[in-house]
Amino acid sequence: MIETVVQERNRKLEEYLQLLGLMAFELDRAMRAIVQNSLTALEDSVANQQAFSSRLEELAQDLGRSPQDRPLASSPLTDSELKAQIFSASSSLQELNRRYSALIKHSSHSVALMVSLFSSFQGQMQEDSGPRLSKHTWSCQI
Amino acid sequence: MPDLASMGGLNTSLLIGTQALEAAQGALTATSNNIANSNTPGYTREIPQFAESEQSQSGNEIIGGGVSLTGLQSVRDELLNLQIQSQTSLQSSVDTQSSSLQQIQTYFSSTGTDIASALSAFSSDLTQLSASPSSSAVQQEVLSSGQNLANAFNNTASGLTSAQSSADTQVTQTVSQINSLTTQIAQLNGQISQLTADGQSGGTVQDQRDELVQQLSQLTGISVMQGSDGETITTGNGTPLVMGDSSYSLQTTTGSDGMQHVLDSNGNDITSSIQGGQLGGAIQIRDQVIPGYLAQLNTLASQFAASFNAAQAEGFDSNGNAGQNFFSVPATGAAAGMSVAISDPSLIAISSDGSAGSNGNVANLSASLTSALPSGQTVSQAYANLVDQVGTAASDASTQSTAIGQNLLQLTNQQSSVSGVSIDEETTNLIRFQTAYEAAARIVSTIQQLNTDTINMIS
Repeated sequence: MIETVVQERNRKLEEYLQLLGLMAFELDRAMRAIVQNSLTALEDSVANQQAFSSRLEELAQDLGRSPQDRPLASSPLTDSELKAQIFSASSSLQELNRRYSALIKHSSHSVALMVSLFSSFQGQMQEDSGPRLSKHTWSCQI
Repeated sequence: MPDLASMGGLNTSLLIGTQALEAAQGALTATSNNIANSNTPGYTREIPQFAESEQSQSGNEIIGGGVSLTGLQSVRDELLNLQIQSQTSLQSSVDTQSSSLQQIQTYFSSTGTDIASALSAFSSDLTQLSASPSSSAVQQEVLSSGQNLANAFNNTASGLTSAQSSADTQVTQTVSQINSLTTQIAQLNGQISQLTADGQSGGTVQDQRDELVQQLSQLTGISVMQGSDGETITTGNGTPLVMGDSSYSLQTTTGSDGMQHVLDSNGNDITSSIQGGQLGGAIQIRDQVIPGYLAQLNTLASQFAASFNAAQAEGFDSNGNAGQNFFSVPATGAAAGMSVAISDPSLIAISSDGSAGSNGNVANLSASLTSALPSGQTVSQAYANLVDQVGTAASDASTQSTAIGQNLLQLTNQQSSVSGVSIDEETTNLIRFQTAYEAAARIVSTIQQLNTDTINMIS
């Protein structure tokens, strides 16, 4: 019985570790997408990140319950090597997350500036005519 | 979904951040530049170019180098540009000819002093002379209307020569403009080569050069080739105008015909080989179209004068003498030099037998206006044919210009869709980026919280 519980816990820890890795992969992919202005790839990656973060939160809550709820949390039967790997992966993910966060802030700021730039054009530039008309409707409002 | 083994470890991603920030800044700058220049004539949309940075090895682990911005690429369709240049040259040539033909048409219009009106008045006065052969007043009228007819030929020839002179002046002016543009294009070629050698984007300078090449194509037909040291531009027949950062000036010189001839940088006369653009149009109208009309007008003046003089010779004037030439025409430039040879109305050969009061030869004089000339047409028919040619040529040029203009519009539309900036597209993307960033920012917070959870979980 105890062995089964330990195995189940380790299985969840392995899943947790794998999700940390997948999340790191997605942050990597999202950063590349931002750099390349690849909107579809960014949106796809963000959707994956949302799915992974939900599952990570769920697992963290499950694995982090009180000692009464998880009597084997500190049991020597828990895979210590696995714990070390999780700790390392989590640290690396945090580092990556900090850079990702900086890139998001920077890009958000840049987009905000561009939105301002675009808004400032309205009223200053005349409606185009002729062959380029279809390209400059100026009808979009942000 | 990739497994952990295929990811090469978490550390492979850690070095990306800084480079990503720099590359993203470049990409966003390019996008904002596109928006800022959305209405700039000749601006070519730029898209950032990325490359995977070199990987490095740390122990047994291969660490990815991330992504770096290698440059900005202008979105150009060179084939489309060449088509536009070609059509621009053609339209410019046709427009130049059309403009000149419109000017020429005025000399053939029914103004009361044109050749058709003068012929009609001359014919009418001859009819009156037949009715009143002894009337000195009517005789004077015939002499005056004959003079008016000669003047009409003079004026029409003068108008054609004036249009020819205008075209000749345009040749000189256009060559000067061509030389100015080719000098500027060569300088920009040099700048582009330098920027490329330095690994920088020459997009803006290329736009400037494309704009100048477009202007050059309005002046003359050109052929553009991309070379390792920049664009090579020649005239349609291969005379070099620009090679890399060197330009080759055209020159003009007065030829034996009194017209300005175009010489290449080696002094060879290339006038007859120039086609397209204002220069080609001006040369075409000056050397082909107008001389053709002048030749027909001279033939008409010469043949009509000869026919009328022959009718004069068949009769006798009021003094009983054999009729002498009524019109005088030089051997060359008959229309321009046509004049009435007599100044005394009594010298009109009215009589067929030399007797006073006879009007027997007036019929012959009148018949010279309605009989076929050596060309096979009467003087009125021949003139009407010439008027029709001028009118048709002017109309054809106008129609052709409209057709080329529509074609050019389509090509320009295509170019705009390729190279132009789509504000709507950029705006939509901005909004989607904002949404994605907001969602990503929430995940960043979640991951930060996860760190605490993880430590609690495994400690």
